[in-house]
Amino acid sequence: MSALEIKHLFGLRGVSKHDIRLILDHAKQFREILERPVKKVPSLRGMTVVNLFFENSTRTRTSFELAEKRLSADTVNFASSNSSVKKGETLVDTLRNIEAMKIDIVVVRHKGTGVPKFLADNSNAIIVNAGDGAHEHPTQALLDMLTIEEKLGTLEGKNVTIIGDIRHSRVARSNLWGMSTMGAHVTLCGPSTLVPRNTELMNHVTWEPDVRKAVANADAIIALRLQKERMDDALLPSMREYRNTFGITEELLAKAKDKVIIMHPGPINRGVELDSDIADGEHSVILDQVTNGVAVRMAVLFLLAGGRNNENA
Amino acid sequence: MKMRKPNKEFYSKVVLKNAKFWNGNAFELRDEVCLIGAGNNEDSLEYDSNGALVMPALFALGIDFMEPLRDDVYTYVDGVEAMRRGGFYGGLYESAANPIDDADKLTAAINRRPVDEPGNPYGSSLAIRFLGAYSKGFGTDSLAEMMELAQTGVAGFGDGNAAIPHSRFLRLAMEYGKMTGKRFFFQPMDKTLRKSGCVHEGAYSDMLGMKGIPRIAETIAAYTVLETARFLQVPVHFKQVTCGETLDLVRDARKKGIDVTCDVGLYHLLFDDSCLETLDSAYHILPPIRSAVDRDALWQGIVDGTVNAISMNHAPVLRQDKVVNFEDSVPGALSLEVALPAIWNKLVAKVGEARAIELLSTGPARLANAVHGKNHGDDVVILAADKPHKVVESDFAGHVCNSPLLGKELPSSILATYINGVFTQL
Repeated sequence: MSALEIKHLFGLRGVSKHDIRLILDHAKQFREILERPVKKVPSLRGMTVVNLFFENSTRTRTSFELAEKRLSADTVNFASSNSSVKKGETLVDTLRNIEAMKIDIVVVRHKGTGVPKFLADNSNAIIVNAGDGAHEHPTQALLDMLTIEEKLGTLEGKNVTIIGDIRHSRVARSNLWGMSTMGAHVTLCGPSTLVPRNTELMNHVTWEPDVRKAVANADAIIALRLQKERMDDALLPSMREYRNTFGITEELLAKAKDKVIIMHPGPINRGVELDSDIADGEHSVILDQVTNGVAVRMAVLFLLAGGRNNENA
Repeated sequence: MKMRKPNKEFYSKVVLKNAKFWNGNAFELRDEVCLIGAGNNEDSLEYDSNGALVMPALFALGIDFMEPLRDDVYTYVDGVEAMRRGGFYGGLYESAANPIDDADKLTAAINRRPVDEPGNPYGSSLAIRFLGAYSKGFGTDSLAEMMELAQTGVAGFGDGNAAIPHSRFLRLAMEYGKMTGKRFFFQPMDKTLRKSGCVHEGAYSDMLGMKGIPRIAETIAAYTVLETARFLQVPVHFKQVTCGETLDLVRDARKKGIDVTCDVGLYHLLFDDSCLETLDSAYHILPPIRSAVDRDALWQGIVDGTVNAISMNHAPVLRQDKVVNFEDSVPGALSLEVALPAIWNKLVAKVGEARAIELLSTGPARLANAVHGKNHGDDVVILAADKPHKVVESDFAGHVCNSPLLGKELPSSILATYINGVFTQL
C-alpha cells in the first residue's frame, strides 16, 4: 500500500495530489463497507483516539466518533465546556495530560488558526484538524470532493462554485486548496463584506461577485452556512437581503447547468443560504455528504495511523 | 535553561586596544583608546578589541520593565541588565500596564531604578526617562495631572500602547498638555478598525483566516492626531509606524509646518507578514508586522530621513503566554539584547554609519531629551560586525526569552559594552 506523505492533517494547502487521491480512494472503499450489514473493521484496534473539541460541534464530532468506532479504535471525547480548560489550564498542559494517558491520535477543533500544528509541535500524537478558526477544515473538503467524484465521476475539469461567507469559512479555504490540487476550477462568490479582501495568495481560483455569473457554468454549487455567530455587526443588512441576493433559489438554479449538484456543509439555515425546496430537491446531495464524511474520516484516520491491517479494509 | 552570564565589572578607566573607534564622522583604527567611566575606584582594564567597531552606546525607545505590578514577568534589574548587554546607555520608559498618571507614581518609578553602588554591577545611572500618561489609568476620559508630571520630569506624554482616544478627549488632552511644552507620543491605532485583529490584514491573514488589522487603522488615527496637532500647534510623535501611508502623512504634515516625529520598530524592519506562515507566536507583536511592501516603505523612510529613530519596544512576555497558539498568545518581543547585531549591517548598507548611529542613538535620545551627557560621553558598545552569532535563551536577561530572533543567526556580535563605568563582556 502506498503511504501518505503527510504525518498529520492540518489542512489541504500544500497537500499533494497523491495524498488526496490516496485518501479519496480509501474513502471509497470505506464507503462500500458502510453499506454492508456489518460496518465495523478492526483497522485501529488497540489504538486510542481523543476528540479534543474546544468549540461546539455536533455533526463533525459525531462523524469522527463514528468513523473511529467503525475502525475499532478506543474513543475518548473531551469537550472544553466541562474540562480543566475552564479552570485555566493551558492548551499545552491539556495536551500533555491527555498524551500522558497514552493516546495515539488527537482530533482537534479550536477557534484559533494553527492550533493543530501547535499541538503537533508539542506532542508525539498524530493530529487531525477538525476545524481551526477560519483557517481550514480539511475533512469537510475531502468529503465534499468525495461527493463530487461520486456524483460527477471526477473533479478534473469540473466547475465548483462556493457561495457565501467565504471570509470566515474554513470549509471554503480547505476546498479551494484541495479542489484546485485535484484539477477542479473553483469560483468563489459572496457579499463584499464576507469575502477576503486580499486574495493575492489565493489567485488560482476565480472571484466572481455576481452570483448569477458564478453559478452559470457550475457543475457543483456549495452553499456555505451563514456563520451568524462569527459575524461582527454590520457585515450584512439582513438575512432577507442575503437570501434575495446570494441564496440558492429556484430562480437562481434555473441559470445553472441542468445536472448541477447542490452541496452544503450543514447545518443549513433554511430560507437563507438554501431554499427548502432546493435543500430537499433532486439536485441536493447534502445527505450523501454526511455519509461520505464518515468514510473520509475513516480513511484519514486509517492512513495516518499507518495503514495497519490494510487487508481488513 | 539559562546558564551563561556575561562578565560584568566596574572600571573607572578602560583602555581599548586595536579598536575601530567612531570619531563622529567615521570609524578609524586606533592602537589605543582610553575611556573614562563613572565611579571612584582605581581599577582600570585593558581590552583587545581585535579590530571591532567601538561606537557610542545606544538609546532605546519603548522600554517597559513591568515593575511593580508584573515583577513576576520582569524586573528593573532584568531591564538594566538587558540594556547593558545590548549596549544601551538609556531609554524612554513607556509602561503599558502601569500608568504613570500622577507625580507620585513618577517619583515612585524614578526611585525604583537601581541606585549607583560601586561593586554592584547592577548599579545604574542609566539615562532612563519616563513618559507620563495623558489620561488617568490609560484610555479613560479623565485628564492625568500633566502639569505636575512635567514639573517632576516626564519626557513627554503618552498612554502606553493604548489606541488613540476619541477625538474630543484627544483635543482636550493635547490642549491641556500644550501648557507643558512637552511632546505627545501616540501609537496610531483606531481601536474600532482594529477590533479583535492581531495580525496585518493582508494576503497572509486572509489566506490563513486570521483576523487582521488594516493599514487604515493606523492612517486614520495618524491623520486625526496630525489634524489635532495642526489645530493646536502641539508637537507629536508616532511610535512604531508600520506602513508607508503613515510616513506619507508625516511628510505632508511637515510640509505644513506640523512638528511631528516618528519611529519604526526593529522587528517591522526585519520581518514581513510572510512570517505568519510559521504560525509562531514569537512573531505576535503589536502593531503587527506588515507586508513586504510596507517593510520596504519603512526602509525608504529610513533612507530619506522621514524616520527619526528605530525603536526597541522591549516587551517581556512569560513563556506560558507565548507557548500557545498565535491568536491566544500575548503580543510582545524582547529586543534590547539583540537589536544592534540584528540590524547594524543592514542599516549601514542602506544609510551609512553616521545615519545608522543617529537612528539608534542620538535620534531616539533627542526625542527623550537624553542625548549623551557628561555622564555617558564615554559609554560605548563594541561590535564585531562580521562575526555571526546564533541567538540562544541565555542571551536574554531575566527568565523570559520571547523574541522572534531566538534560534536565528545574527550577522554581528556584541563583544562588550562599557556603560557608566560597568564593563560587560559577552
